[in-house]
Amino acid sequence: MKRITMLASALLVSTMLASGGAQAKSLVYCSEGSPENFSPSVNTTGTSLDAARPVYNQLVEFERGTTNIVPGLAESYEVSPDGLTITFKLRKGVKFHSGVNGFTPTRDFNADDVIWSFERQLKEDHPYHKVSGGAYDYFNDMDMPKLLKSIEKVDDLTVKMTLTEPNAPIIANLGMDFATIASAEYAKFLLDKGTPEQFDQFPVGTGPFQFVDYQKDAVIRFKAFDAYWGGKAKIDDLIYAITPDATARYAKLKAGECHVMGYPNPADLEAMGKDEGITVMNQAGLNIGYLAMNVTKPPFDKKEVRQAINMAIDRDSILKEVYQGAGQKAKNFIPPTIWSYNDAVKDYDYNPDKAKEMLKAAGVENLQSDLWWMPVQRPYNPNAKRMAEMMQADLAKVGITVELKSYEWGEYRKRLQAGEHQMGLLGWTGDNGDPDNFFFLLGCTGAREGGQNISKWCDKNFEDKLQQAKKVSEKADRTKLYEELQVISKEEAPVVTIAHSTVFEPVSKKVSDYKVSPLGRHEFYGVDIAE
Amino acid sequence: MIRFLLRRLALTVPTFVALMFVTFMMIRLVPGDPIEVRRGERGISPERLAELRHEMGLDQPIWKQFVDYVWGLLHGDFGVSIITKNPILQEFLHLFPATIELSVCALLFATIIGIPAGVIAASRRGGVYDQTLMGLALTGYSMPIFWWGLILILIMSNTLHLTPVSGRVDLIKYFYPQVTGFMLIDSLISGQKGAFPDAVRHLILPTIVLGTVPLAIIARMTRSSMLEVLEEDYVRTARAKGLAPYRVIGIHALRNALIPVVTVIGLSIGSLLAGAVLTETIFSWPGVGKWLIESIGRRDYPALQGGIMLISSIVIVVNLLVDLTYGLINPRIRHAR
Repeated sequence: MKRITMLASALLVSTMLASGGAQAKSLVYCSEGSPENFSPSVNTTGTSLDAARPVYNQLVEFERGTTNIVPGLAESYEVSPDGLTITFKLRKGVKFHSGVNGFTPTRDFNADDVIWSFERQLKEDHPYHKVSGGAYDYFNDMDMPKLLKSIEKVDDLTVKMTLTEPNAPIIANLGMDFATIASAEYAKFLLDKGTPEQFDQFPVGTGPFQFVDYQKDAVIRFKAFDAYWGGKAKIDDLIYAITPDATARYAKLKAGECHVMGYPNPADLEAMGKDEGITVMNQAGLNIGYLAMNVTKPPFDKKEVRQAINMAIDRDSILKEVYQGAGQKAKNFIPPTIWSYNDAVKDYDYNPDKAKEMLKAAGVENLQSDLWWMPVQRPYNPNAKRMAEMMQADLAKVGITVELKSYEWGEYRKRLQAGEHQMGLLGWTGDNGDPDNFFFLLGCTGAREGGQNISKWCDKNFEDKLQQAKKVSEKADRTKLYEELQVISKEEAPVVTIAHSTVFEPVSKKVSDYKVSPLGRHEFYGVDIAE
Repeated sequence: MIRFLLRRLALTVPTFVALMFVTFMMIRLVPGDPIEVRRGERGISPERLAELRHEMGLDQPIWKQFVDYVWGLLHGDFGVSIITKNPILQEFLHLFPATIELSVCALLFATIIGIPAGVIAASRRGGVYDQTLMGLALTGYSMPIFWWGLILILIMSNTLHLTPVSGRVDLIKYFYPQVTGFMLIDSLISGQKGAFPDAVRHLILPTIVLGTVPLAIIARMTRSSMLEVLEEDYVRTARAKGLAPYRVIGIHALRNALIPVVTVIGLSIGSLLAGAVLTETIFSWPGVGKWLIESIGRRDYPALQGGIMLISSIVIVVNLLVDLTYGLINPRIRHAR
């Protein structure tokens, strides 16, 4: 079957090419790896999510290049006054892709598809729940099983979602890839054929591009979907050339073998900037790199000590040396691109003398501490080891002797979450642009052993406001609460906020209307290419 | 001959058992497990971790996992990838043709250039040709592959625009199905105009890069073997008979000098299949080397175990065949105890 589909699509494309296909606009994206499969609900890596995104839509979506929520498959939604039900009005006349893997849809998109897509992840007795491993990581991470009481069809174009408690961030969550809407009819078609696992390998969606072919480690092909509800894409063919080596991606971009590339080597950026055929686009990343101090281990239980450490670390030098300028100093725990960013917060200035005094006043002398650094490069921290060494030197100046420590990456995170460290480096990349998606990392739920709050800091005032901000639905009210959270966390200083790194994307000058996504996505609907 | 064959076959059994054990254990000695490694800063609750480990059978005692693994292997079941959920054998067979295609081309390149270079160097011993060729061979042998690949791309593709940077096919111009997995064949089958030359062009740089080290080895081996043979009495006799130098060297000497060279070529097939990792990475070549490296990063136990077993088996079989041919050529080997 697979071969027949491939042959059919190959023939189709070759006919296209032969019959004056010279006008066909192809855009090649040099991607960094092969996807696990094409179902966003069962994936976690950016690579896999990027590979499935052209095919699908969500109820609500992120406006390209921003974190603003705009209507997707739902034309509108309404939240009940008690915040417990959300009613979605679905778009009419939305078509599914036809001809992928032998499937021809007989109906338009409707409420059944929405129900199917959520119930696959929610209900353990759903016929597709166990297909492809059955681990719905993002769905679980966003607390959906706990939050989602039911999801019902009111009529063909109306869906009612009932929650167990009011939750304002859920709308932003529904714009994420895990909340992708797939075709219930296609699922049934494959189940009847006895090949449900193909559901995640040959994707059928409502998105701007239709899946054509995938060759592991080599290429993914899509073609523009003529009947796309948002209007046909400006390019005809979208090709992902899988190119794992960053230098090779750059060489391909230079040679015109691809038009957009992800994840450039920081060292190549300067040369890229000088290249006549390439534009290096950039955007402040939706991330934060920080140093957490474990408040359960004295003397880090003392606010003054934590503040002193904030003053003892020379972040400007770190920015220059570790980020090579490709980042901005972090004042708050959220990056300035997220709404509710509080610019009025007063940051700690680098002042080793004052830090020394404060430590002395707090009765801390000859402090010995460990400082953990992760063994891997992360988007928010290009070189944790170097950063740790610089901090070690800074802290030595105020009389703190630091021992550097590291573990294998999985082990590292587990031990940090168990609270074994005194000080440790970590960071976060946002999923959906909602402030809660960052601040939960400082909340009390995460401060328990094994939780994600690795400073183990649990402040009642902070926690109350954090919970309240989740429950109120007015954005203005939420903004005010998050602004307060930034004041509290700066004052209490459970972490040293280090930097928000910048995301760079080299793009061929032939490409127009490409937008760098703050969410780290690579999106091609709306992008055009000169012949 | 039959006894020789049986003896050699019997020797492979303990090799396979050791292989199974080593691949299984080595991967589990690497810190980190497949579930946690994917989670990054997001973390995972201990309950959920236990649940997933149970589903993957990772909570079983090690010996039980090993027995299950061996039992599966004996039934031809290599397991399913933790990451993609595809059968390992299917993934391997999908990627292996690309590796074979590249390895064969590299070996042909190395042989076609290496043997004549060695012969020329030997026949002009100590002369300029000899010095230059052997100097080049030494450089080739010590060339850092990654650097060599990138330099070639920079010169051949980015500056002279003679070859494509990477991949196996011009993705914008050509699209044909993978029938055999060998692009040289598939491009011909496709009937698309220009597809075959395009596939050849894509093979040039990876072939040179992967073939450089074997080329150096073959050239040096041919030279030293030739020098030895040229000292033999029958060569002197042939010369004394007044035969033309090309006949002496090309027919009388080369034939005998080639025996050790053939062995070296046979042995390098194994290292080419397994050692194409760097070349595959630089040139985005969708082969098994790159797949294995990725599996290490992802702690995809079944993929690693299965992949290494399959490659090792092929290497063992190739070595066996080389031994057999050697036995055929040289009866002394056959009868040695």
